[in-house]
Amino acid sequence: MRDDFSDNVMKMAGAVVRAVVYTMLALPAVLVIISSFTSGTSMNFPPPGFSLQWYQRAFESEPFMKALWTSTYVAVIVSFLALIIGFAAAFAINRFSFPGKGLLQGLAFSPLVVPAVVLGIGLLYLFAWMHLTQTMLPLLVGHLVLAIPYVVRTVLASLSLHNRVLEEAAMNLRATPFQVIRRITLPLILPGLLSAAIFAFVTSFGNVTVSVFLTYGGNVTLPVQLFTYVDASYDPLVAAVSSIMIFVTLAVILTIEHLIGAERLA
Amino acid sequence: MNPPLERNRKFTAALLLAPMVLLLLGFLVVPVAGVLRSSFLDGDYLLEGTGFTVGHYLRFFSDSYYSSILWETFVDGVIVSLICLVVGFPTGYSLARLPPLARRWRTIIVILPLTLSLVVIVFGWLIILGRNGLLNSVLFNLGIISSPKTLLFTRPAVILVLVQQFLPFMILSVLSVVTQIDPVLEQAASNLRANRLVTFRRVIIPLATPGILVGCNLVFVLSISAFITPRLIGGNRVPMLGSLIYERIMSEFNWPSGAAMAFILFVAGLGFTAAFNALAASRLVMGGRLHAR
Repeated sequence: MRDDFSDNVMKMAGAVVRAVVYTMLALPAVLVIISSFTSGTSMNFPPPGFSLQWYQRAFESEPFMKALWTSTYVAVIVSFLALIIGFAAAFAINRFSFPGKGLLQGLAFSPLVVPAVVLGIGLLYLFAWMHLTQTMLPLLVGHLVLAIPYVVRTVLASLSLHNRVLEEAAMNLRATPFQVIRRITLPLILPGLLSAAIFAFVTSFGNVTVSVFLTYGGNVTLPVQLFTYVDASYDPLVAAVSSIMIFVTLAVILTIEHLIGAERLA
Repeated sequence: MNPPLERNRKFTAALLLAPMVLLLLGFLVVPVAGVLRSSFLDGDYLLEGTGFTVGHYLRFFSDSYYSSILWETFVDGVIVSLICLVVGFPTGYSLARLPPLARRWRTIIVILPLTLSLVVIVFGWLIILGRNGLLNSVLFNLGIISSPKTLLFTRPAVILVLVQQFLPFMILSVLSVVTQIDPVLEQAASNLRANRLVTFRRVIIPLATPGILVGCNLVFVLSISAFITPRLIGGNRVPMLGSLIYERIMSEFNWPSGAAMAFILFVAGLGFTAAFNALAASRLVMGGRLHAR
């Protein structure tokens, strides 16, 4: 009985903390969306009225639309390549035994621990030396490196979760290894593969910390364009463009959630 | 398995792994090595340096301005990690114990800041903290302040925004370990008349330590290398090492010096987290012995 007091204090403190945390996590995105519908010309809060003028301006703005196109283009190619490379590696890690497996897994996840500044300037240095800074290649390669850990992790998880009885049955029926992969394994882990590709897409689409160093040549992505714009000044145009990014990202998250379920989203 | 087939399997495995290994060696390991090499170049401009010198490192450590920024960056990293731990642990824990349906929307709210571009989040905070922003107008209308306060360009503002950005990493790390802790253990503790606090301290925290460590490491490394947030939220008034490196390279084009600073950040960050993990691991082993006694 004497413990009731500390129990209640903890219960209440927990509830308060959770309320603050969820509000704080959602607040910036919600405010950006509200601000994007302002009829005013500055970022004052609360907005004076409702209008869609900033969306119209955003779609008419050439630099932003060009950047949106570049971002989409890079993200699509990156998710495609990351899926192929990441699936091959994850499959080998999951199904084959070989020395140095731990080291290889460490290598696959290492892009997560290298600070973005270090990777960014390293890649800029490398591509400047190869005289390739004017191309889209630095962005593609940089985002591909960043996407690998997410793809390998997601594919590894779905490979180790799915039941291998069907593969063994197919092998007993004399299917070749290739047939087994194509007809049994791939269809079974399809949701996992799709979400891996989508993770790669969002990683590339939203990245700014590595991209700022790789848009030297003029192929500017949307986040970098936003960063340089906000760095100088900001107005509701940024809110409209940011809202477009939020809608894209939210749609993508809901798709993954639908594919693999919220409990495996994390 | 017969030898030729075994060799065949090894060959297949190598073939499957080759693209990823080549990609990461060529475009992760080589660039990091390139940063290290270029930090020893003699010279102050982009790609113009030659030779070998430790001058950029010497200058960094002899100038108290830089060492104080390095120190402040690390202090900020520790503060951000601690706040994330204190508010992220209860959130991640309760998330793990919720029924699937209730968990769904909360998980989406946690994931959103991770997948959303950093710039968009920082921009959201500019709307909250700006001179005519949400916080100022709320405080003004409540009569707490009589004129708008400058909330941006302060260290607490930068820390607040960093916490919001990296909190999801902590919540998810805690979530993933807590889901593996059997709730039966908590019931057992409460049957043995342990209250929440004791259960928390003696059962949950020790079992969740791996997740806590992963979360702390991630948040710390991300915070000390942040440069977008300090630059946009802190302006020039809250210098952090990351924003200093960005300016050195992208505005002053002083490549070797920027590379030296980036490498100091990388190595100091790795060293700090390694020391922290070793300390935590030894504490954990000792704690385990004490409990076993």
